[in-house]
Amino acid sequence: MQPIKWLVDFIDVRLGIKEIYNKELRGYLLPRNVNVWYTLGAVLMALFTLQIITGILLLMFYVPESEKAFASVQHIVNNVPYGWLFRMLHAIGANVIVIALLLHMLSVLFMGSYKGRREFTWLTGFTILNLTLGLCLTGYLLPWSQLSFWATTVATDAAGAIPVVGNYLVEFLRGGPTVDNQTLGRFFALHVVGMPLVLLGLIGAHLFCVKRRGISSAPFGPEYKASEELPFFEHEVHPDGIPFFPNYFVKDAAVISFFIAFMLAIIFYAPGMFFPESAFQPADPFLTPPHIKPEWYFLWAYQTLKIFPSEIIGLGVQVAFMTFLALLPFIDRGPERRPAKRPFFVTCYVLGILLFVAISIWGHYS
Amino acid sequence: MSRAVIWSFLVVSLVLLSIPATSLADETVCLQCHAGLSGYLSAPVADWRTSVHAENGISCHDCHGGDPTDMAMAMSPDRGFIGAPEYEEVPDFCGRCHVGVAKEYKAGAHGKAIAEGGAQCVICHGNHAVKKASLDLINEEDCTRCHSYERAALIKLSLVETDTMIKEMEHDLDRLYRLGFAIDEMQGTLFNQRNIFHRTFHGVDVERVRKKTGEVQAELAKIKGQVTDIDKTLGQRKLWGSVVIGLFILAGVIFLLVRKAYEEEGG
Amino acid sequence: MTTNVSPPQRRKFLFTMLGGLGALIGAASAWPVFRFLSPIAAGGSGDKVVVARSDVALGKAHFFQYHGKPAVVLQPAPGEFVALSAVCTHLGCVVAWQEQAVEFQCPCHGGRFSPEGKVLGGPPPAPLETFVVELDGDQLKIG
Repeated sequence: MQPIKWLVDFIDVRLGIKEIYNKELRGYLLPRNVNVWYTLGAVLMALFTLQIITGILLLMFYVPESEKAFASVQHIVNNVPYGWLFRMLHAIGANVIVIALLLHMLSVLFMGSYKGRREFTWLTGFTILNLTLGLCLTGYLLPWSQLSFWATTVATDAAGAIPVVGNYLVEFLRGGPTVDNQTLGRFFALHVVGMPLVLLGLIGAHLFCVKRRGISSAPFGPEYKASEELPFFEHEVHPDGIPFFPNYFVKDAAVISFFIAFMLAIIFYAPGMFFPESAFQPADPFLTPPHIKPEWYFLWAYQTLKIFPSEIIGLGVQVAFMTFLALLPFIDRGPERRPAKRPFFVTCYVLGILLFVAISIWGHYS
Repeated sequence: MSRAVIWSFLVVSLVLLSIPATSLADETVCLQCHAGLSGYLSAPVADWRTSVHAENGISCHDCHGGDPTDMAMAMSPDRGFIGAPEYEEVPDFCGRCHVGVAKEYKAGAHGKAIAEGGAQCVICHGNHAVKKASLDLINEEDCTRCHSYERAALIKLSLVETDTMIKEMEHDLDRLYRLGFAIDEMQGTLFNQRNIFHRTFHGVDVERVRKKTGEVQAELAKIKGQVTDIDKTLGQRKLWGSVVIGLFILAGVIFLLVRKAYEEEGG
Repeated sequence: MTTNVSPPQRRKFLFTMLGGLGALIGAASAWPVFRFLSPIAAGGSGDKVVVARSDVALGKAHFFQYHGKPAVVLQPAPGEFVALSAVCTHLGCVVAWQEQAVEFQCPCHGGRFSPEGKVLGGPPPAPLETFVVELDGDQLKIG
């Protein structure tokens, strides 16, 4: 214990870390009725950190050139010790992040946490969701498999539905008329540096918004208070709350452990879950594999495009829906946060989830 | 775009898509003309459509020569038309593409007996309705048309064993492929051995077939060894993975217990 | 489950267990990263394959394994050596060298290749891949 105490004192005298510790960790009080859904933020931060670490490791062997990319991934998976493990952690991790993001968003919607002057938190969060999907899309191309190549071709084609600038936009995204080496180059740069930097910035902004405004209490139980729209800034405090550290911190740690166990279970017991056969064939620009379809989190968009006879309408519907979600705090302005007292919202919420699941399943089988 | 146009477009596409690729070869004048004739002149058309050759885009002119685009010159020797082969010309006819098989066949008993009516390609495989070769082509009913079945039965026995091994191995390699393993080299060897195996039978020499299948099985055993090694590695990975999963679940549970302890203290 | 152990005592015990678990998980995580980053012993795709010159007689072809795939080296003219992939570009069978005809023939569907690997006839869509051959004394270095 002595050397640690000595070290802490050494730093504290110079930087006052004990004061920060007492104020931000031990003194940071959370509402008593905080529930397990509140851990998802920490889970996501842990998962993103894992993505960065595994991503850096993969970067040491991956070659971002169309002639060599597939072989480099094969090299990692077959020859580099534990290469298979880091590749799987990265690929499965991406899918688990999307699952956790959707759960996080669903719980925020259900508890109306975007109300009470928390619009910026919602906006930064929604942008993070979209950026993550962009990271998934750009990352998908890098192994340069049949799946990579054709999923990217289909996804970038969608931009062609935009009138006037559509075709130019598709070429701009791809860096050329077709998906080729120049597409790989720009997707690689975006995936490895561009988007992660923006993501880190957004996460920082998101956390700042949460802490600055103060964490909201869950809208359940006798202590519920409707959110007020005060004409001045208010930092929400919970003087009789529980300390974040160590009391809620251990709950965060528990759920993070379970999520990692879940991820490892997929890797060791269902490794083929997110890898269809076309993921193992090197890209062939002249041969489209049958039944090519995007990853599960894009199936809704894919199927929506197919439902509507006109591509531009299909695209428009998706844009409209996403815009509606993004602006939700400005549309739903009621102070009521209890789900039991928001029947219209909860009905739309449940129907929305069912519709998302149904369209995704349809997209998978069509 | 109007609804009616969309729907009719969809229907037409569906119809077009349901036509098998082979009918794209309807372009050849051979099929156009012979399909309209009768009796033995038109029978080959329907037979060929069911064949493995048709599936792979091999059409009339690929075997018989001639010009598939010009009705007038379709059967002209100047355009390479060689007509239908006589009984004894069949092995060379098929052997223009199936070189290895023809070589084995001619060196074997059937090939040497061809002048006396020994079996040639068409007798077992048919001429136009050729299907992908299977062991069922060797059966008592067909082989006893000319001689007793014992030798054929022995050959089939040794072939069945190897055939099963090959199928199993193809299945194993496919499984490993789906897990991301680089199985190119093994698959190449397997492909090669399968071809050697299929060719050797045509010499219909029991001893030679036995010897060759022995060699093939030895090579297959090497591949099987590699597959077993990989499976062992996979088993080890799963074991360690399960241990680590257990550790994480345990950690989660302990964190929850700690949380409970804090709650009891009033935190 | 009633115990007489107070919460702080329980916590201490649990923390010790966590410490142990943390060490185990830490080791289980650090080991793969260490092995991943450690240099792999050299050898493999970069190496040249050596064939003895005496194995390749004039007019004859010698088959060997080149980085896991079948290859062939031949001596079409005295002192001249050519190394090619022996995998037919049609459907992947291994080609055979025909000494009399001075060409490669594929036993599967009759594809024919010249001694330089050019397609002479049959279904193959592309020539056989060539490899660089270097004559070094009585050894042929291929690759």
